[in-house]
Amino acid sequence: MSILVQRSDVGEFRRRYRWMVLGCLALFLMLFGRLVLLQVIQGDIHRGQARRNIVREVKLATRRGVIRDAEGRVLASNRPSYNVYVVPSQVDLERTWPRVVQLLGAEPAQAAVLKKRITDSASDERRKDQQVLLSVDVDRDVVAMLETHETELPGVEVVPVPVRSYPYGEVSAHLIGFMREVDGEDLTDLDSRGYRPGDRLGAVGIERRWESYLRGKRGTRKTIRAMRRMVHREELEGKYLDEPRLISPVPGRDISLTIDVELQQSVERAMRGQLAGAVVVVDVRTGRLLAATSKPTYDPGVLSGGRGTDATREAFRRLYADPLKPMLDKTISAAYPPGSTFKPFTALAALEEGVVDAATEADCRGGYEYGRRFFRCTGVHRRVRLHEALVQSCNTFFYAIGAHERMQIDRLAKVGLAFGLGNKTGIGTNPEARGRMPTRSWYARRYKGAFRGGFTLLAAIGQGAATVNVLQLGLAYAALANGGTLFQPQVVRSIETSDGTVVQEFPPRVKRIVSIDPGHLAMIKSGLHGVVTEREGTAHAETVAGADMAGKTGTAQVSHVTPRGVDPSKVWYFNRDHALFAGYAPSGTPEIAIAVLVEHGGGGGKNAVPIASRIVRDWLKMRDRQRSASAGARESDKSEEGS
Amino acid sequence: MVQASRISFRSGPQIDMLLLLCCVTIASFGLVNLYSATSVYIEAGKRSGLADIYVSQVYWIVVGGLLAILAAAIDYRHLERLAYVFYLGGLIALLLVLVLGPGIRGSTRWIQVGSFNFQPSEFIKILLIIVLSKYLHNDPRMEPRRWVDLTVPILLTAIPAALVMAQPDLGTAMIYVLTAVSIVAMLRIRGASLVWGFIFCATVVPVSWKWVLRDYQKARITSFLDPEHDVTGSGWHALQSRTAIGNGGLTGHGYMQGTQNQFGFLPDQFSDFPFAVFAEDWGLLGCTLLLGLYCLLCIWSIHIASQAKDRFGAALAIGVGAMIFWHVFFNMGMAMGLLPVVGITLPLFSYGGSSVLTSMVGLGLLMNVSMRR
Repeated sequence: MSILVQRSDVGEFRRRYRWMVLGCLALFLMLFGRLVLLQVIQGDIHRGQARRNIVREVKLATRRGVIRDAEGRVLASNRPSYNVYVVPSQVDLERTWPRVVQLLGAEPAQAAVLKKRITDSASDERRKDQQVLLSVDVDRDVVAMLETHETELPGVEVVPVPVRSYPYGEVSAHLIGFMREVDGEDLTDLDSRGYRPGDRLGAVGIERRWESYLRGKRGTRKTIRAMRRMVHREELEGKYLDEPRLISPVPGRDISLTIDVELQQSVERAMRGQLAGAVVVVDVRTGRLLAATSKPTYDPGVLSGGRGTDATREAFRRLYADPLKPMLDKTISAAYPPGSTFKPFTALAALEEGVVDAATEADCRGGYEYGRRFFRCTGVHRRVRLHEALVQSCNTFFYAIGAHERMQIDRLAKVGLAFGLGNKTGIGTNPEARGRMPTRSWYARRYKGAFRGGFTLLAAIGQGAATVNVLQLGLAYAALANGGTLFQPQVVRSIETSDGTVVQEFPPRVKRIVSIDPGHLAMIKSGLHGVVTEREGTAHAETVAGADMAGKTGTAQVSHVTPRGVDPSKVWYFNRDHALFAGYAPSGTPEIAIAVLVEHGGGGGKNAVPIASRIVRDWLKMRDRQRSASAGARESDKSEEGS
Repeated sequence: MVQASRISFRSGPQIDMLLLLCCVTIASFGLVNLYSATSVYIEAGKRSGLADIYVSQVYWIVVGGLLAILAAAIDYRHLERLAYVFYLGGLIALLLVLVLGPGIRGSTRWIQVGSFNFQPSEFIKILLIIVLSKYLHNDPRMEPRRWVDLTVPILLTAIPAALVMAQPDLGTAMIYVLTAVSIVAMLRIRGASLVWGFIFCATVVPVSWKWVLRDYQKARITSFLDPEHDVTGSGWHALQSRTAIGNGGLTGHGYMQGTQNQFGFLPDQFSDFPFAVFAEDWGLLGCTLLLGLYCLLCIWSIHIASQAKDRFGAALAIGVGAMIFWHVFFNMGMAMGLLPVVGITLPLFSYGGSSVLTSMVGLGLLMNVSMRR
């Protein structure tokens, strides 16, 4: 009986079984479907991901290209900087620490600060294994000492970091430039070019503009991640690594400049007494830059991080606070009124226009009356012709040219622009201040009120709205010296691979040839020669002996405003005129052109000429020495052939 | 003589060869696979605790086999009488866990007995199945039931589920509920009650999200819904496991060759993700075989239930089958990224004494019912 009841009870369940079987099958089918999706349909994606999990790409470091001068002397290269670290949990503060302090030569106060930092870190569970930086860019001897005593100094670590080094220090720093660490903005911009956090790239100058050549290319090596099970590495690599397994790094290209370090050093020597200014020396026959200096300067090694980040930050703080603007490349990134150095171009314009000739005279009585204004001269020169006007820098003569009804301001601008003044030179190192040759339309756009003839008078003596940069001035005088060929300035002579093979050479490039009447040019040149050689010449008194040169002094008036952030007691300095000299040497057959600017230096004759003449003297000595050396070499060649 | 043997053939206990074969095959696969999963550590030269996993799993299988024989040998109807005693004992053990148990990864699941850790929440699964089966056995009414009529089974399930949630162990609680639902589903329930039940669930889910679930449990669920969002945190396990399975492809990398496993990208590869190891080594072909075996086991347990001679036996068979099924479904589902990561083991595959013993005893009960139909 009871058995029967039980049997009928089971019947209640019976209708459920089919549904349960169906549900069970359906869910298993779902799992199976998912398996097919993962393993077959998306199989390749997952296999790729699994492969990426175990393969690691190690980046192989490259070497940044070296920058050399014209004679092959190294201006920028790479060196290891040794930083000393301490691991707080491992260092023995009783026995090891005093020795470390002694070896590093740390000052007691500094050592105490470091010791406190180490003890603090050692007591912190999270930081006790993190290295504490003791000293950056440690001397090689100290490194050697630390390494020989390595076993006695547990927890002290020496880590080499590659840094850019500049063997000549501040010499030509603005031109060569320096390095900086990439920031977040660069990384998003340059991602495709393979920069990674912590990399350095050229910040200014050649380092920046030729970054893509200097930088080189990282290599990669694929390896298999460390595995817990010991299996033959080669076997695994053969199985899981795709070819190519190794891409060798490509070292950066070396760059040879047209700069001559010896001349450059002589320029810096000549500028030593000046606070701020710029000098440019250009080869008259090629337009190649032989020297370029901007003062005040900076140490590119420190700015590139050679002495650690603290030193870099401190250096930048000081540089940006300096009212003399050391970060500015004053050879091209700033424009100044050319002052009297513009007069030869005014003269040329007047000669070409037929406004004056060699016999045209002006009577200088200390100035020129024009309209209701009196335009002052530098002195009373009495009766002067073009030659005397150039030699003595008589403004009156040039005011008279400017006042002539056939001499328009556009005419002056045209000649200036023809010589490259007021136009970018395209040297490609730092951002260029273009300068300006004012024209009527410029005044119409920029100046309220009607155009006045007085503007032309000021333009004729290089004042007013006219501005140029120092390199433009040097190149324009080079064009005067070589008879009218304006060169495209060059600073990079060739690019080489790291083993010295020349990849690309840059021949001189002529920008334009200015047609000048030879007679007119001869008159100008004799005037420029007289500036230096004649007794009344503005440069005569200050030219050092043995400097055979020709050129023109200039004193550029500065608008009397107080620059922001300058101590009022020092304002007098910022109101002084800029001293200028532009010329070429030797005077007979010119080879170099030179432009000197001393910011707020005062009169051009007194302040710029000594610098220029010293550079020219040194350059002449260097040239003669080279010539006799090469002549001697030729002699000995001949004598060897003879014997 | 012939007559006698026929009678003994029909009435005497008869071993269910299909069930036995199925279980032995799955367990062998599990052991072989566990060796692959732990091989990473074994050959590293340092025999750490992890490397011993394989050996101790063999011990557990042997002990589990003996318990299974015991569970199969004693007539299951004796269990019915003792069901409530066992159940109460289990609840006390669960309470003890909450009071005494040491915390492991933020949850307390173990009681230390002597030198080995004992996880009562695993064994409760069997006790719950027994006690629910007893309830069904003693409630043979024919008309459809309302919720009020189901108060007792709901309470029987809710109490251990709540205690386990307090540990907190979401996965195990879920297994309790799903197993209980599967058993109770055999009863006839009024349509209106089902609708109400559905509405109740729909309200409970958001409420429990807000007040009951712990942060790490929520993190697992959110990372399941959006695994790419946080690849180093909670989503990491799921993502690496899915990659391992996909990496297996059609035929797999071969035994002990799966890179995800060998290079240590699979966390918890012994307990939570042995299927990922298996899938990477054997590919779709191996997985289909394994899936088929589990499917056969589940359907066979329904078959056993349908052949059972009383309600208790039928409910017992369905309960064990459901327990196995939900474990398999959740474990594989989470390994494949179909379901969130909740620590649910794969029966006979995953490492763990309590888990192995529970599965083995359950299968022993299944055999018991099968032998006495």
